[in-house]
Amino acid sequence: MADYTYPSIYFAYFLFFLFLAGALYFFLRSFRDGYWGATSEDVKYQMLKDEEAEGHGS
Amino acid sequence: MAAEKEIPSGASSATASHRPVHSDTAAKWFLMSSVVYFFVVGVIALIIAAKFVWPELLGTIPMFSYGRLRPLHVNGMLFGWLLAADMGLVFYFVPRLCGVKLYSEKLGVATAVLWNAIVLGAVVSLLMGWNQGFEYAELPLVLDVAVVVAWILFGVNVFGTVFTRRYPQMYVSLWYTMGCILWTAFVYLTGNFATLFTTGVNQANLNWMYVHNAVGLIFTPVGLALAYYFIPKAGNIPLYSHKLSMIGFWSLAFFYVWTGAHHMIHGPISQWLQTISIAFSLMLLLPVWTVVYNFFATMKGHWPLTRDNVPLKFLMSGVVFYLLTCFQGPMHSLRSVNAIVSKTDWIPGHAHMAVLGAFSFFAIAGVYYSIPRIFHTKLYSDALANWSYWLAMIGGIGFFVTLWLGGFWQGWQWNNPAIPFIDTVVALKPIWAVRFFSGVLIFGGIATFLYNILATVIHAGPRPQEAVHA
Repeated sequence: MADYTYPSIYFAYFLFFLFLAGALYFFLRSFRDGYWGATSEDVKYQMLKDEEAEGHGS
Repeated sequence: MAAEKEIPSGASSATASHRPVHSDTAAKWFLMSSVVYFFVVGVIALIIAAKFVWPELLGTIPMFSYGRLRPLHVNGMLFGWLLAADMGLVFYFVPRLCGVKLYSEKLGVATAVLWNAIVLGAVVSLLMGWNQGFEYAELPLVLDVAVVVAWILFGVNVFGTVFTRRYPQMYVSLWYTMGCILWTAFVYLTGNFATLFTTGVNQANLNWMYVHNAVGLIFTPVGLALAYYFIPKAGNIPLYSHKLSMIGFWSLAFFYVWTGAHHMIHGPISQWLQTISIAFSLMLLLPVWTVVYNFFATMKGHWPLTRDNVPLKFLMSGVVFYLLTCFQGPMHSLRSVNAIVSKTDWIPGHAHMAVLGAFSFFAIAGVYYSIPRIFHTKLYSDALANWSYWLAMIGGIGFFVTLWLGGFWQGWQWNNPAIPFIDTVVALKPIWAVRFFSGVLIFGGIATFLYNILATVIHAGPRPQEAVHA
C-alpha cells in the first residue's frame, strides 16, 4: 500500500503558506487602505445607519 | 463618515434614496431551517444526556446507541444549527454593511437547499453508522465534497456582494466573515481530505488541527462577526474602537492556527510541537482580550439596556462566556493542568461553553434581532424570549460548571492508580444527573426560542413603525 503521508502533509503545508502569504499581503494592504489611520473609526458610525428606513422588501 | 462610492451598475437595484431593498430570501431559508434543526438535535442531545443517567435507555438498537447519536448531535449542532444560522445571518448583515443587495438571492437559496440536503444526508448516514471515525469529520466523503461545493457557493455570494459594496471601508464584521470563508476552506480541506491519506501520529495531529480550528477559525470568526454587528445594532451604540477590533482580527489570523496540537499534550508527538501549541494558546489571550474589552467598553454606561433587550442580553452573556472559555483554553493547554483535565468531562464542559454559551448565544441574538425585521413584523412574545434566555442561561451554567467540577474530580481520580477505572465511572453518576437536568432546562430554552420564532413568522403582518426603529 502506498504511503501518502508526506504528500498529504506537504499539501497541508502548501495550503498553510498560501494562506499565510495572503494574510501578510492583506495585513500590509490594510495600512494603505486607511484602517489604522485617522479615519479608521468612521465605519463604526456608518454601520449604525438604519437601513430599515429604506422601505420594505418583498 | 466614510465616503460613498458610486453604486456599481447591476450591483443593486437601488431605491430613489440609493438604498437597496433586501428581500432576504436566502437568509430566511437558512434561518428557518437552522432553528428547526436546533430543536430536533436538541432532542438528540437530551437522549444522550439521559443515557449517562440511564444507560439501558433505548436498549441495544444500534441506531439509537450512544456511538451513533453522539456524532449526530455534534454534527447536527455544528452544521445543522450553528453554521446554518451563521450563514443565514451573514446573508442578512453583509448586504446591509455593504449598502447593496445580496449578489444573488437565487444562488443563496440554492446554497440553502444543498445545505439542507447535506444535513439530512448526515442524519441518515450517521444513524446508519456510515462514519469516517474522525472527530468533527465523521461525515462520509460524498457529503464532505457537497460541503465544499456549498461553501464555495456561499463564498461566491458573500465575496460577490463585498466586491460591489457602496462603502469603501469595510466594517470589522466583513473582515471576520471573509476570514471565516477563507480559513474554513483551509481547515475543512485539511481536516476532511488530507487526513484520509495520512497515518498514525501525523493523522492524529492533522485531525486535532482541524478539530481545534473548526472552533477557532470557523465558528469564532463568524461568531465574532455576528457579535460585532448585533451588539452595536441591538443597543444602537457605536462600537468602542474599530482600530482595536482590527488588532483582534489580525492577531487571531496569525495566532490561532498553531494551537491544535495542544490536544495531544503528553501524547506521542514531539515536545517542541507541544511547546509551540502551548505558547500560541497563551498568545490567544491577546485577540480575546481585545474583543472582550471592546464589547465591554462599548456597553459602558449602557448596561441598563440589557434589562429589556433580549438580543443584547444574549449577546453580552455570550461575551462573558467567550471570555471564560478563552481563558480556560490557554490554561488547560499548560502541561500541569492538562495532565488533570485532558479527556475528562471538563472538556465537554469547555466545548459547550464555547459553542453553546458563546457562539450559539450570539446566533440566537441575531435570529431574535433579524427575524422580525426580515418578516416586517414584531417579535411574537418578548416575555417568551426572556424565558428562553433564562432557561438557556441557568441550564447552561448548570451544565458547564457541573462538568468542570466533575471533570476535575474525574482527572484527580484517573491520576491515582489505586482507584479502579470503573469506580471513577460510578463516582460521576450524580454529576451526570445534574448534567441531564441542566440539559432539560437548556432544551426548554431552545423549545421556547423555536416556538417564538415560528409564531413570529406565522403571525407576521404589517410592522408598526416604532418597532422598526426600536
